[in-house]
Amino acid sequence: MKDAVRIQTEDFSQDEEIAALKGSSKRMGGIGTFLGCARDFSEGRDVEEISFDAYGSMALSEMKKLRSDAIEKYSLLDARIVHRIGTVKGGDNIVFIAAGAEHRVAALEACRWMIDELKQRVPIWKKEITPQGDSWVTPHP
Amino acid sequence: MIKVLFFGPIAAAIGEREMKVAHQPGLTLGGLHSTLATQHPEAMCLATMMAVNGEHVRDISLALMDNSEVAFMAKFSGG
Repeated sequence: MKDAVRIQTEDFSQDEEIAALKGSSKRMGGIGTFLGCARDFSEGRDVEEISFDAYGSMALSEMKKLRSDAIEKYSLLDARIVHRIGTVKGGDNIVFIAAGAEHRVAALEACRWMIDELKQRVPIWKKEITPQGDSWVTPHP
Repeated sequence: MIKVLFFGPIAAAIGEREMKVAHQPGLTLGGLHSTLATQHPEAMCLATMMAVNGEHVRDISLALMDNSEVAFMAKFSGG
């Protein structure tokens, strides 16, 4: 089985991630998920590709802490986080987060919390490649 | 020696992803930042976050041990 927290260049399967999450406990009554995708338009410009850079070892360590923190904070039964690096095109998957809990409220709130925290805590940077040139992305709130 | 790492916009501005800095007793995180800021002001002004040995650090008075790995990082934009 794949690790619950991963950084990888290749695409991921939401179905496989959810199946792995569900397989961890039959007490799970709710699963919240977040899928982040690459946009082909940003700040008034067409975006051809998005390139990611990461402080790999720290990013993975922070994502593992984030999962543990979420499990404790929301009493989750399990959680999974997968983030792609390398280069992606518009419409491609970037990040997938899934939170499984006994009830829906904890699952949904934990999922929202994890993506918000990931953006604050995990050292990954994205660069948009456009016909007008490349630019590093300024974080959105 | 201290290994200093750069990523994303800071690496692009400096033109390097890593450099080695001689360790001196009493060298602090803030002192290292100041030294690099004089050499690469446009890059280092982006450095709003710091890590030592892979852990977030906010205290710039932290004394750096020899063989530390330090990262000066721009605001993250993953996800």
